Amino acid sequence: MTIMEPRKHGDASDGTVGGRQTRFEGNLKVTGGATYALEYPVEGLAYAILVQSTIPAGRVVRVDTEKALAAPGVLMVLTPDDDLGLLVASDWGGNRPDNQPYYPLPRQVQYNGQSIAAVVAESREQAVEAANLICITYEKAPHVATFNDAAAGEGKVMDNLTSGWGDAEAALAAAPVQIEGEYSTPREYHVAMEPHGLTVKWDGDRITVWEPSQWSHGMARSYSEWFGIPYENVHLVSPFIGGGFGSKGAALAHGAVAAFAARKLGRPVKLALTRPQNFTNYGGRAATRQTIKIGATEDGILQAIVHRGASETSTYADWPEQTGSATPILYRIENFSSQHRVVPVNTVTPGALRGPGKNPSAFGIESAMEELAYKLGMDPLELRLKNYADHDYQSGKPWSTRRLREALTEGAEAFGWSKRSHEPRSMRDGKTLIGWGIGCGTFPVIQAPSEAMIRILGNGRVEVVSGAIDMGQGTYTILAQTAAEVFGIPVDQVEVHLGDSRLPGSAIAGGSMLAGSILGAVHKAATAARDELIGLALNDEKSPLRDTGANTLTFSGGRIAAPRDQGPSLTLSELMAALGRDEIEVLRNTLPDGATAQEQHQAWTSMAKVQGPTMGEYSMHSWCAHFAEVRVDEDFGTVRVSRIVSAFDCGRLYNPRLVESQWRGGIIMGIGQALLEEGLVDQRNGRTVNNNMGDYLVPTNADVPHIEVISVGIPDYGASALGGKGVGEVGIVGVAPAIANAVFHATGKRVRDLPITLEKLI
Amino acid sequence: MTRTIHLSLDINGRRYDLDVEPRVTLLDALREHLALTGTKKGCDQGQCGACTCHVDGSRVLSCLTLAAQVEGRQITTIEGIAAENGELHPVQAAFVEHDAFQCGYCTPGQIMSAVACIREGHAGSDEEIREYMSGNLCRCGAYNSIVAAVREAAEMA
Repeated sequence: MTIMEPRKHGDASDGTVGGRQTRFEGNLKVTGGATYALEYPVEGLAYAILVQSTIPAGRVVRVDTEKALAAPGVLMVLTPDDDLGLLVASDWGGNRPDNQPYYPLPRQVQYNGQSIAAVVAESREQAVEAANLICITYEKAPHVATFNDAAAGEGKVMDNLTSGWGDAEAALAAAPVQIEGEYSTPREYHVAMEPHGLTVKWDGDRITVWEPSQWSHGMARSYSEWFGIPYENVHLVSPFIGGGFGSKGAALAHGAVAAFAARKLGRPVKLALTRPQNFTNYGGRAATRQTIKIGATEDGILQAIVHRGASETSTYADWPEQTGSATPILYRIENFSSQHRVVPVNTVTPGALRGPGKNPSAFGIESAMEELAYKLGMDPLELRLKNYADHDYQSGKPWSTRRLREALTEGAEAFGWSKRSHEPRSMRDGKTLIGWGIGCGTFPVIQAPSEAMIRILGNGRVEVVSGAIDMGQGTYTILAQTAAEVFGIPVDQVEVHLGDSRLPGSAIAGGSMLAGSILGAVHKAATAARDELIGLALNDEKSPLRDTGANTLTFSGGRIAAPRDQGPSLTLSELMAALGRDEIEVLRNTLPDGATAQEQHQAWTSMAKVQGPTMGEYSMHSWCAHFAEVRVDEDFGTVRVSRIVSAFDCGRLYNPRLVESQWRGGIIMGIGQALLEEGLVDQRNGRTVNNNMGDYLVPTNADVPHIEVISVGIPDYGASALGGKGVGEVGIVGVAPAIANAVFHATGKRVRDLPITLEKLI
Repeated sequence: MTRTIHLSLDINGRRYDLDVEPRVTLLDALREHLALTGTKKGCDQGQCGACTCHVDGSRVLSCLTLAAQVEGRQITTIEGIAAENGELHPVQAAFVEHDAFQCGYCTPGQIMSAVACIREGHAGSDEEIREYMSGNLCRCGAYNSIVAAVREAAEMA
């Protein structure tokens, strides 16, 4: 059933692809030796602090900076009165308006908590003190705090997210069994442990930016375009990043402010967002709501799904959190209709947060499926298996691999689902009600071209060089494993250099697209480097392997030899020495042959070349099924998640140890989403009230039970060169509905709006 | 405020002299003035635990502690718990073995908390470890592995 065979750590195979190698950079992280963005020693630093708006909409009329400028240590105050002389940079797709000015500290206020001024001082403490002395006069305008305000209206339909086939309305009307529900999710936030911030330093017209980044090349491009300098003049450094979850993929206004200040002052500047500023300086997951109507036969065969969803966006950009994205592909459905709207409100533009789209979408459809199961009096597991999709009904394409059936059945087996008693409130332990629920999840396979360099050094070490990011997913480790496997050497003979915009370009560490994409490039480069070495070893007259008469060589156990023990065997360093070579360097990418320099630049710095899940012959996705047990105090309505078993189809796993960690991490974020996380907005002024880690609750250690994760995947070589599908995003998808369904089973109360807090149960 | 005070701090058994404003926190003194950046700033509000250090052997939040308060006391940071020869502290080794972190940013605080948690005698069961390690948030969600690592290190202690 599983490719995750238990193996004692320390076996030689741990260091090859698929092995359970411990984290490559582990020692650095446990000793404090891993250097994050704000930790580089830079001489002569000045410190910048942002000042944010306290109204949700309107105009900055006047900024009184007199007192701040007179405060000790203050070097500069920036306000909307300062023309920073910047130009708007490209969007994700690489599209850019011509010569449009960019105002990172705008006069127009579009949300509460928007950065509108900055103070730079000799020390952070001085900057903070001076920032408090800035006095801003506003001209207020009417605002819309959330999409639940009457003034918000219905929003606008996103045509590209409208989909349908068959005749959903007619099939629904004709269906003997129907259910309808409205499901909603609140604003949610990334809350990466490392706050956003950067240190920036100019040398003439060259800039070095130490900033946490999920995409070194994409962010470097923004700096070059803002400041009108060649891309090559930007050096963005991000070898370690303290969590991103979607929030660190793009350069943001505070980066532009810090870089401008550094250039104007002629000295390096460090700018760290305070924790509260991290809640409004960039967007989290948008609040969503959706109605789902399902029609089915009396024996539980789906006849129609009608879905209508909406999500909040800002007043200045459309960011849809796609509530209808999991809905069409989880089940066999002949009649389907879905529409999604965005509703502009006075918020910072929302952004991608783990499992974007699929996550709230799965909360809707997976809650609705269990509502249908209870209406039919049918086991929710049976209902899901009965409506198993044999192909992708949306694209009409066959699945590449889809082991969701195995995820459901093997997950159920491990969980003990067969011992379930169907009726709500029928399982208890004294005054504690016990409930079980299922939630399925999915996330598309996204592929992006990438490039990697392999260097074989004279000392026998092998270097893997890439601009790719490791934010904890395990990029360092799996790249080292790939090179170790190709050269038949232990992992500790490999060095990995990552997180730098001057290194070869890479897919973003986001959308679960990095591992599959970059391993393709690393494997290609490493294989090419090995082939080059084989060619030299068999043909160079100085090579001791030349006379073996072999036409290839084996790389195993750290030694290189002709097959079948013909002749000598050498280590990499011995062979390099014999060949008289200090270095063999090979660069390869996964673009089509003959890609121009411009096409390469576009590939590394924009999403223009990214491939979606149905752009080829197949429909390619990761899949999972979560089984949750909750214990609910009957008197107080407190919910504890007591057990979770989750089964995943993510194809081949490059390193099960690290994959299990990522899956559990996604599931734990899902526990937070189900029970704790909710951005609260003051209707009067659009302020995010709980903008800190004590009031915006994320799961603590004591909130989390042991989580059992199971792999049911098989290699999918359509999805990636080495057979893996995405791992990071899918873990959270389906967790919240599994818990909501378990809460219903325990209590008989269906909570359709997250999070499930105790007042909704008593 | 421009006045600075002279401090002499005992950190990881070494003496560090520095001139800072009296309002500088221990966390900022470590990170901005002494290049001891292993101690992390996650919230600067005492909510996340990433800045956990030991003062006279007890865990403290260095973001809520003024540097001036700890003069004459023994401060231990993540840089100070491995052996002189570089051999990892058992808690550090257990964190690597159990993959008790992903991004690594909360990790120094988790480890400093774990060392103290074991020393306090609060690592007797998984429930107890979960409770006494709950002042240290981990957004990557490594909690299962953190519990396993602390349990293993406690058993070896």
